[in-house]
Amino acid sequence: MNVIAYVILVIAWIFIIFGMITIYSLKNLYTRILTAATIDTVASFLVLFALIFVSWRIEYGFRLVLLIVFLVITNPISSHVNIRSAYLIGIPLKQSEVTTNE
Amino acid sequence: MTLIKLFLLITLFILVIAMILSFIRLIFSKTLWDKILMLNLMSAKVVLFIAVYAIYLEKLVLLDIAITYGIIGFLTMTLLSKFIMAGSRQK
Repeated sequence: MNVIAYVILVIAWIFIIFGMITIYSLKNLYTRILTAATIDTVASFLVLFALIFVSWRIEYGFRLVLLIVFLVITNPISSHVNIRSAYLIGIPLKQSEVTTNE
Repeated sequence: MTLIKLFLLITLFILVIAMILSFIRLIFSKTLWDKILMLNLMSAKVVLFIAVYAIYLEKLVLLDIAITYGIIGFLTMTLLSKFIMAGSRQK
């Protein structure tokens, strides 16, 4: 069981590192929120999924599955609320597109 | 130290470095929604840190603390965004 955990953990490291790179490299606000939230959701899912294989017991696995379900449901919801409040009162979409093309 | 403990330690170090980088980005960002995004990333990283640390120490109580912290982080982000949206409409 540990071999599966090693492979999934290495993939999760790559996702976390790319998430940190996208925060610093992208200029537009909306693309930054989209990519950061997506990559962060996948990274947290992979790390918690690897932890199930590391601790191969039922009482750990139940709580980790609960945490995975909670994070996968609520992380896109919070990023959606953030984007919605930015779109309704904040930066219009066309201006940010124009500023990134320059 | 077995090999899986070493892998968990490297994961902990990467999570700490990611938290520090997103905190630096939180300080030097201009708009309000950037700061909320960075807070969201930091809270998710903290949940992951507590879960990995619970498996590293083999203590079951820390996983319950991780679930609680996830709920509190989600409520913080959602209510802050709703508050910003509603407060601006009244002006």
